[in-house]
Amino acid sequence: MPLRRALAVLAALGGLLAAFAGSPYRAQHATLDVERAAAAIAREEDHITAVELAEWIHDRKPELRIIDLRTAKEFDDYHLPRSERVPIEALFGSARGGPARLGPTASLRPGETIVLISDGGAHAAQAWVLLQALGFRHVYFLRGGLGEWLDDVMNPTIAADASPQAIAEFQRVSALSRYFGGVPRVIDKGAEASQRRASGDRVLRETPSSESGTTPAVDVIRRRGC
Amino acid sequence: MNTAVAPLFELGAFGPRGALVVAVAIGIAFGWALERAGLGNARKLAAQFYLTDLTVFKVMFSAIVTAMLGAYWLSRLGVLDLSRVYVPETYLLPQLAGGLLFGAGFVIAGLCPGTSCVAAATGRGDGAGVMIGMFCGVLGTGLAFGPLRHFYDSTARGALTLPQILRIPYGVAVCAVVVMALVAFRFAERLERR
Repeated sequence: MPLRRALAVLAALGGLLAAFAGSPYRAQHATLDVERAAAAIAREEDHITAVELAEWIHDRKPELRIIDLRTAKEFDDYHLPRSERVPIEALFGSARGGPARLGPTASLRPGETIVLISDGGAHAAQAWVLLQALGFRHVYFLRGGLGEWLDDVMNPTIAADASPQAIAEFQRVSALSRYFGGVPRVIDKGAEASQRRASGDRVLRETPSSESGTTPAVDVIRRRGC
Repeated sequence: MNTAVAPLFELGAFGPRGALVVAVAIGIAFGWALERAGLGNARKLAAQFYLTDLTVFKVMFSAIVTAMLGAYWLSRLGVLDLSRVYVPETYLLPQLAGGLLFGAGFVIAGLCPGTSCVAAATGRGDGAGVMIGMFCGVLGTGLAFGPLRHFYDSTARGALTLPQILRIPYGVAVCAVVVMALVAFRFAERLERR
């Protein structure tokens, strides 16, 4: 009987202390609502296009946070207006053994609209999953990464013989593009081909604008693609 | 730095052959403990369902609490890497149906798979009978697995744990289970004394 009582006391002590001892997991764990995440992906609610992001920035969407996950050098070379650099490893972090949570430098709030940007979109998509697991709901990643921004916002093009509908849409995007210092172009396919032959297929680039901060390094980013 | 030494097999302390030897040793120790607790006796097990002898409940629940506290504290002290311990996946409806079938078999036979092995090892005929029945059941299920497959894979919920379901910290779940066990033991002893 005394042994049973001693074991019961030991178990009670172990249980009570456990309530204050934290998580037993060595790694950081968070819970991902897989069904919800899959539905968001299927409905394409996980990403936005570069033009949509440009509209949000232009319209000064409230509570918008644009998180650039690239390296400091890449960020210094070129970044989107209103964007802030947070390396992916700094986005998450917690005390050893504790539950996973947002890194102290990230300072994101669940109510904010968060747009994640990386070079090609893969890192941003991965960070989207991780933020979903941390309970952030208004998170999007830039679908085609920085390349899409450069192509669709900074250098939108349209064929000279495009349909009236496409031209109307292009005019809307062109206005946005110019707001960011971009250079919309109408392409004459024949002239473009001869120009490419003449320039050895080099991508033409306009001079940097103050808002976009376009530099020659961007050409490197653009050529590298997604 | 990872200083964990367990799970031993997962962390390469021994290979598959060593794991089999360890599994046999643990199985024998488990059987011995069941026998010492009197769980090789079908009458004792059946008494569980009449609420006159709750030994099975007490043995099983104390084993759960011991394993849970051991896993928790060993992990908290850095000896065990809990993330490498396999958590079986939940399949809600198939497991509910399996649980009911298992319970019905337990009541009818007075033995469960583990205790039937213990009973058979101690020379009890009912134990051997239950083991034969159990293997027939396994064989029948295997043969009928094709049509059962859809149901078998239905209502998958992934590897669920109490802290996940209840959305409470892990340690609080451990504490709650211990408190529940101690209260249940007290209640069980009162029932037995009635």
